[in-house]
Amino acid sequence: MNISGFEYFSPRSVEEASQLLLEKGKGAFVMAGGTDLLIKIRRKLLKPAVIIGLKGIPGLDKISFNRKQGLTIGATALLSDVAHHPKILRHFPAIAYAAKSTANTQIRNMGTVAGNLCNAAPSADNAPTLLAMGAEVILAGTQGERRLPLDQFFIGPGQTAIEPGEILTAIFVPTPPPHSGVSYQWISARGKVDISAVGVGVMVTMKGKVCSSAKIALGAVAPTPMRARKAEKILSGKVLSSRMIEKAALEASREAKPISDVRASAEYRKQMVAVLTGRALSEARQRAAKG
Amino acid sequence: MKRFNIVGKDIPRADGRAKVTGTAIYTDDIKLPGMLYGRILRSPLAHARILHIDTKKAKALPGVKCVITGEDTPKIKYGNWRLFPNTQDEYPLAVDKVRFIGDEVAAVAAVDRDTAEEALDLIRIEYEELPAVFDTDAALKKGAPLIHEASPGNISLDRKISYGDIKKGFAESDYIREDVFTVHAVSHAYLEPCSTVAQCDLDGRITLWTSTQVPYIVQCLLASTLGMRENDIRVIKPYVGGGFGGKMEMRPWEFCAAFMAKKTGRPVKFTLTREEELATGRRRHPMKIYSKVGFKKDGTLVAKDLKIHLDGGAYNSMGPTATFLSGNFGAMLYRIPNYRYLGQHIYTNKPPAGAMRGFGAPQSLFAAETQMNMAAEELGIDPIDLRIKNAMVTGDKIPDVATISSCGFIESLKEVAKMSNWKRKRRTLRTGRGIGVGCYSFISGGVFNWFNTQYPFSAAEVRAFADGTVHLLTMASDIGQGSDTTLKQILAEELGLKMEDIRITAADTAMTPQADLGSWGSRVTLMAGNATLEAAKKIKEVLFGAISARYNLNVIYDMECKDGRIYAKGRPDRGMSFGEAVALVQKANRGKPLVARGHYTPRGKGLVTPAFSFGAQVAEVEVDRETGLVEVKKMWTAHDCGTVINPTGVEGQLEGSIHMGLGYALSEELVTKEGKTLNTTFLDYKIPSALDMPPGESICIETYEPEGPMGAKEAGEGLVSPTAPAIAEAVCHATGYRCKDLPITPEKILKGLRKK
Ligand SMILES: Cc1cc2nc3c(=O)[nH]c(=O)nc-3n(C[C@H](O)[C@H](O)[C@H](O)COP(=O)(O)OP(=O)(O)OC[C@H]3O[C@@H](n4cnc5c(N)ncnc54)[C@H](O)[C@@H]3O)c2cc1C
Repeated sequence: MNISGFEYFSPRSVEEASQLLLEKGKGAFVMAGGTDLLIKIRRKLLKPAVIIGLKGIPGLDKISFNRKQGLTIGATALLSDVAHHPKILRHFPAIAYAAKSTANTQIRNMGTVAGNLCNAAPSADNAPTLLAMGAEVILAGTQGERRLPLDQFFIGPGQTAIEPGEILTAIFVPTPPPHSGVSYQWISARGKVDISAVGVGVMVTMKGKVCSSAKIALGAVAPTPMRARKAEKILSGKVLSSRMIEKAALEASREAKPISDVRASAEYRKQMVAVLTGRALSEARQRAAKG
Repeated sequence: MKRFNIVGKDIPRADGRAKVTGTAIYTDDIKLPGMLYGRILRSPLAHARILHIDTKKAKALPGVKCVITGEDTPKIKYGNWRLFPNTQDEYPLAVDKVRFIGDEVAAVAAVDRDTAEEALDLIRIEYEELPAVFDTDAALKKGAPLIHEASPGNISLDRKISYGDIKKGFAESDYIREDVFTVHAVSHAYLEPCSTVAQCDLDGRITLWTSTQVPYIVQCLLASTLGMRENDIRVIKPYVGGGFGGKMEMRPWEFCAAFMAKKTGRPVKFTLTREEELATGRRRHPMKIYSKVGFKKDGTLVAKDLKIHLDGGAYNSMGPTATFLSGNFGAMLYRIPNYRYLGQHIYTNKPPAGAMRGFGAPQSLFAAETQMNMAAEELGIDPIDLRIKNAMVTGDKIPDVATISSCGFIESLKEVAKMSNWKRKRRTLRTGRGIGVGCYSFISGGVFNWFNTQYPFSAAEVRAFADGTVHLLTMASDIGQGSDTTLKQILAEELGLKMEDIRITAADTAMTPQADLGSWGSRVTLMAGNATLEAAKKIKEVLFGAISARYNLNVIYDMECKDGRIYAKGRPDRGMSFGEAVALVQKANRGKPLVARGHYTPRGKGLVTPAFSFGAQVAEVEVDRETGLVEVKKMWTAHDCGTVINPTGVEGQLEGSIHMGLGYALSEELVTKEGKTLNTTFLDYKIPSALDMPPGESICIETYEPEGPMGAKEAGEGLVSPTAPAIAEAVCHATGYRCKDLPITPEKILKGLRKK
């Protein structure tokens, strides 16, 4: 590995980390699991002067759940922690599933959900579900803390709304309203372990047979994970029939703006947005009926 | 059939423990005092003339000890086809021209890797870019840019096979079909990237540790390119993490390490990155295959006309052999009375294709087997029945191509049909599920001496000791396939010893007998096995004589060595332990050590191989008709590899083959754009993961190959061929999509579905 020539810090608190980040300026990067960061360094896409490890900060890996408020995932909680957390499995199965769909066992034992979001890859497996569920990120800087809807977090490929000196400390997911169902669907060319070629996360909230609200988020089909707002509108206030699901799925496919790359062609990705949106909506409808 | 004690048993691999405990030393683990680290500068252009190279700045960088370009070297071309010097088209470092993105242009050795890497950026090269061609059609066009001056039309060589009367054959056919198949480039994806360490002693002799399948070839070609004598170079193969054909030539870093070690007086190491391997490494030949076949109404094959364009990339590499073999495999498996083949190896401005597991067979057999399945469909005959009808059998001969001395093909077909419940599943599987068959035959080593070796193809030396141990010395290279274990088993069996009685020294050109052509073409078990067996027999002969004399035995007694003892067969009390017998012989010869040599060179076996393996495979798949994703549910394999020396070893080869075949069929592809490889990491070059591996069942058909050691033949490569056509047929059975251009992608399936 050609990884040399940087200073490494392991701060003991968020304040200390954020202070360091400001102090060291442009060449400083925070690191959670390092499964994205180290690879970028190896490929010479980044040449950090300073790396600030977050895993030494006590309590930053905390996962807490409170039925009234919701779920909080600490910044250094591992993907595997999230994938296997009993409460998440019970109350947020789609979030656990998305974490479990990320990479492979070894990577999940190092990488974090927060790192997955901060890395801001269009294909980030954890983004669509969290977007559909209206998650917020909690950002802390030397000036204090702010909360930002995940919707406003992604700016471009690899770019987020994090300001200099800020650190994402936790992800907050509100408990969905009653009669809601959430689903994450993804595919890739290499069966069971792979970066997604397309991912779709949806949440529907039902009032009887009528869909009172639908949120649809798409991964890997635009420069950032995106909401399919027109498709959402089609469903809002309508009976969630199979025909309506199909209609919304096609609309989502129209909204997607994928590129062609070695993982899939744009045309195939568009087609798959329709298939996966349909499947996600159907599963979410089923889950809503149970919940 | 002969009963064996050690052959045929699941003997644990000699190297298994070292590998799983991490104590196995691979080339990159070797660190010598004062060692320098080398890096290679590669061409960023697909085709260009080198106008000027300026290495001043790189040389001035602190820590840099040596910078070389083609101009500093003896500029001697090399290539594996030494018998035909005009096929040797490569320089260790580019001279005058670069011909693909990744072509080696300069090398740096420095005190550490980062410094070497930094120095590469400081080398300035002025190129004059030349027009380039990226596929065979473009390369063959009139007026296409010429890649090698010596090869007009960009055809580097061709191979023709012809027998019977092709015209008459088609005239007599009731059903004729013509298809064009294309297959893509894939990577060997061995786990251990190429690595080399060179050391030069004060007498100027070189020792080279290198991750190779062919220590002897590296030794010889290193000698010729450096202008040295062969035996002033010692090549040692440490543990190797796979090769699959990708490490069967001398490569530029081996030359550079040796050359720079000589120049600097310090050891030099080169280890390639995975990105380098995928972006510039050897690969399996993409091919365009034109195939026309004729049948009688009843399914009897009458004629086949095959033309193949091999996309060779920028240099010949092992392309000539692939060109040769693709045509042979086109003629195999079935009795085809009238056959014609034209193979053309064509240069393009892409990383060279070379040998890769199957050596032309995966491509040629994908076309042949798919076409067989298509013919079966149109003739209304079950695909397995159609194969049985035309199958080759023991005793079949093709002039210059094949003499089939053992063949379990029909048995394989029948067995695989039974295991997979073929007939019922072909009829009853629901839409989205499918089952398909593919078959293979393969060589057990090559006969044709393209390397022009002056030594036997394989050799062995056996030293027997009075303490009851023996030492086997052979140049055969265990690259992970398990040949050290197999050869020890053969020797232990023949001498009646235990595995732990045998020490092996292998693949060290200064210490093991000349020569061995290396691990490729599934040659080692048969050839090195025969050499070992011959040496063992000589040892036995001497020991038998000693026992006979010691006990004054009647000459009619048969002798035996078994369970560590040597004795008269009818009188077990007339005998002694193996060690005592060796001591006796040694005494009789006043201290002379008991040593015997054996060797093997195939003779009188046509132009291709001493023995062929055969087999049939069935795949069952589930296809998601909305996403086009294929899941292989199960694979069944029945195959004939002669006597099975080590069942676990054969099973390992089978599983590895299915893994590779699966990737070839469904997910692996080196994607290039204008000569640039786009997927250079395992994130985007998709070898199947452990979770993608289907369960399987297999059975070995027992045959006895008279030319093989104890009846054995190949099991290492042939099995990689049937998987892709079997899966393709299963996908077609499930969806109606017929794949004629690998790989089978979800997008192709969905498009194919729509047409139905
Ligand atoms: C083999 C392999 C397979 C992979 N497969 C997948 C896959 O299937 N799906 C997928 O989505 N991803 C995949 N990835 C990418 C990666 O593993 C994930 O994105 C992972 O979640 C990143 O988490 P991390 O903790 O390792 O992040 P890091 O590498 O530590 O950080 C990533 C980026 O986020 C920044 N960062 C991290 N934490 C914070 C924070 N708290 N505040 C501010 N900035 C922060 C870092 O500075 C860096 O820029 C794969 C990676 C590998 C190597």
